[in-house]
Amino acid sequence: MSETLLNEIRATKPVAPDALRERIHALGTQQPARAPFRSRFEWRRLVLVAPAALVVAVVAAGVIGLSSDDVGGDGKQAASSGGSDAAVTSEALKDAAPEHARLAPYNAATLGTLDQAEAAPAVGAPATGATTIAPSPGQLQRYQAELRLRVDDVEALSGATKRAQQIAVAHGGSVASLQYDAPAEGIGAARIVLRIPTARVQGALAQLAALGTILGQRYGIEDLQEQADSLQTQLEQTQRRIAGILTQLESATLSAENRVVLQSRLSASRQKLTGLREGLRSTNAEARTATVYLTLTTEEIQPAAVSGSRLDDIKDVLAWEGIALLYAVVVAGPFVLLGLLVWLALRLRRRQVETRLLEQN
Amino acid sequence: MYGYLVYLTRDRSLAEDLTADTFEKALRLWRRFDPARASAQTWLCQIARTTALDWFRSEERRQQREERAAAPEQVDADFADGLSPLIEAALAELSAGEREVIALRVLLDLDGEEAARVLGISPTAVSTRLSRALKKLEEKVSVNV
Repeated sequence: MSETLLNEIRATKPVAPDALRERIHALGTQQPARAPFRSRFEWRRLVLVAPAALVVAVVAAGVIGLSSDDVGGDGKQAASSGGSDAAVTSEALKDAAPEHARLAPYNAATLGTLDQAEAAPAVGAPATGATTIAPSPGQLQRYQAELRLRVDDVEALSGATKRAQQIAVAHGGSVASLQYDAPAEGIGAARIVLRIPTARVQGALAQLAALGTILGQRYGIEDLQEQADSLQTQLEQTQRRIAGILTQLESATLSAENRVVLQSRLSASRQKLTGLREGLRSTNAEARTATVYLTLTTEEIQPAAVSGSRLDDIKDVLAWEGIALLYAVVVAGPFVLLGLLVWLALRLRRRQVETRLLEQN
Repeated sequence: MYGYLVYLTRDRSLAEDLTADTFEKALRLWRRFDPARASAQTWLCQIARTTALDWFRSEERRQQREERAAAPEQVDADFADGLSPLIEAALAELSAGEREVIALRVLLDLDGEEAARVLGISPTAVSTRLSRALKKLEEKVSVNV
C-alpha cells in the first residue's frame, strides 16, 4: 500500500459541518435525561454482591449459632453452670431414655411429657435448681416423673440409693423396684422405681433431685378424670338397671320364662357392676399414686466446651447454607446454562447479521 | 465520529444524522462510561457503530417491506472534500466492513487494541482485516487508473 494513498486519506479527513457541530453543542447544553434502569444497571456491581452475600451468610450463621440453643431441631443443647463438669447436652437424657422406656412404657404424646430442656433452664446445674411440673389438685391424673442424677462415686451412690428409699417412705410412698449395680471398677448405677402419693410427690421430687447433679428429667401427666367420670356414669346406669330388674322380679304376675331371662340379666349386670367398681377403684388408686423413675449413676460427664458447641452450631448453620446454595445451583444450573447458550446463540446471530450488513453496504 | 460514519455509510448527510444520534446516546449513557476500560473516542466509536448498524438494519427492513431488497438504493459516494475521485471510487467499491476498519485505523488513528474493542474482534483479526481492506483498495485504485 502506497504511503501516498494513506496520506491522502488522512489529509482529506471528512470535516463535520458547522451545522452539525452546533447541533451537537446544543445537545450538550441540554440536561441529560436520566438513563433507564437497564442502562444504569452495571453487571460489574454484581461482583460486589458475592462477597457481601458471603459476609451476610457467615454473620447470619454466627448470630443463629450463638443465639440458638437448639439448631436443626435435634435437641442438641449446651448449658453452663458453676460445676467443673457442669455442661451437658440432652444427649445424656436421650441415653437415659431407653432404660426408662423399659420401666415406664408410657406414651410421651399422651402424657404430654416435658423434657428438662423445657422444664429447667440449667441442665446439670446443682439439683436445688430443679424445676418440677406439679399435678393439678382436684383432678384425677396419672403422674410420672423420670430423674437421672449423677453422684460422685460408688460410695455416694450407695448413700443416695438409701436416701431415695427413705425419701419415698417419708412421703408415704414405697419402693416398687430397685436395681443396684456398683462394680469395683467402672460405672456404678442404681435404678429405682418409687410409688409416692401424688399429693406429696412434689416435695419428694425436690428432695430426690438434691441427691446429685441432674443429668436429665422428664415429667408426664395424663388426665384420668374423664375416664373416671365415664366409669362412674356407667356404674350408676348399671345400678339403676339392677334396681329395675329387681322390681320386675318382685312382680307376682311374672311368668316363669320371663323370670329366668330377668335373673340372667340381673346376674350379668351385677358382674358388670363389679368390674366397673374395680375399674373406678383402680383409676382412683392410680391417680393417688405417682411413679418416679430414678436413675443414679457415677458416670463421668465429659464437659462440653460451650464455645466448641457454639462453633459446631455455627458450622451446622454454615453447612445448611452450603446445602441450600448447592441445591439452588443444582436447580438453577440448567436454566443458567440454557440462558447462557441462548445468549451465545443470539450473540453469534447478531454478529452474523452485522457482518452481512457491513458486507452489503 | 463524523469521518468514521461517513466512511461507514458513504453518505455525508446520513453521517450527520447518525453523528448527532451518537452524541445524543452518549450523553444519555454518559454515566456508564468507564475511562478505565476504554478511551472516550473508543467508547464513542462503539456507540457510533451500533447506531450505524441499527440504521442499516432498519433500512434493510424498510427495503424488504417495499420489496426493493433486490435493487438497493444506490447512493453516490461522497466521502470528503479534496479526496481524489479515484480513491473515492475505490472506497465506494469496498464493503462497509472494509471501510470502517480503514476509518478506524487510518482516519481516526486508533491503535489495534482500540479498534478491536470497537469492532468486537481480536487485534489480530483487525490487523488481518485492515491488511486485506488496504490491499483491495490499492487494487481498485490501480484498476480505476
